[in-house]
Amino acid sequence: GCWQHLSGKMEDYQATEETTFVVDEVSNNVKEAIESAIGPGVVAHAFNQWTTNVVEQTLSQLTKLGKPFKYIVTCVIMQKNGAGLHTASSCFWDSSTDGSCTIAFGLSI
Amino acid sequence: MEEYHRHCEEVGFNAEEAHNIVKDCVDGVLGGEDYNHNNINQWTASIVEQSLTHLVKLGKAYKYIVTCAVVQKSAYGFHTASSCFWDTTADGTCTVRWENRTMNCVVNVFAIAIVL
Repeated sequence: GCWQHLSGKMEDYQATEETTFVVDEVSNNVKEAIESAIGPGVVAHAFNQWTTNVVEQTLSQLTKLGKPFKYIVTCVIMQKNGAGLHTASSCFWDSSTDGSCTIAFGLSI
Repeated sequence: MEEYHRHCEEVGFNAEEAHNIVKDCVDGVLGGEDYNHNNINQWTASIVEQSLTHLVKLGKAYKYIVTCAVVQKSAYGFHTASSCFWDTTADGTCTVRWENRTMNCVVNVFAIAIVL
């Protein structure tokens, strides 16, 4: 009812900039919104947040085991793009009590 | 009164010393090289082994964990993080970031004080 009423009155309005759809202005607004939601800066921040979440949650789970260990957790996240990633580690510790494990986790992205 | 300077024992992990040791190792292994799929495993192994050897030679009462990641340079970044549950007064870490035209290298040293 309201919409019909409005369209019935359309011919009463002067055609001004305020009532005309301005493609460039709207396009810029949309681009800015996309940038702020999922732009490169946001994606980089998301990656950082993921690596932080992984190590923090892993450490939290490990300490909950209540065992007399100190823990060091590291995480590397890289986008699959054909570039090579190589890692190595070496440890000087008490091999009768200390240990490590490495998890490789692949996602489709 | 004679000024008396007490010889200070080093307390805690000397991150700067470790940083210099590791940086020299990385320079020695990767310096002048381009990313090479055939050699990269050998390089990362050399970096961690040499770094560890030099750190242990310092003769300090620490256990050490050295990790190294080398990534071929591309349009995409790579992200790392680490979190440690330890004695913040005695244990420590240092990170060395190194790059050249074709690759990025990140080496982490974690030092756990041995309490006798």
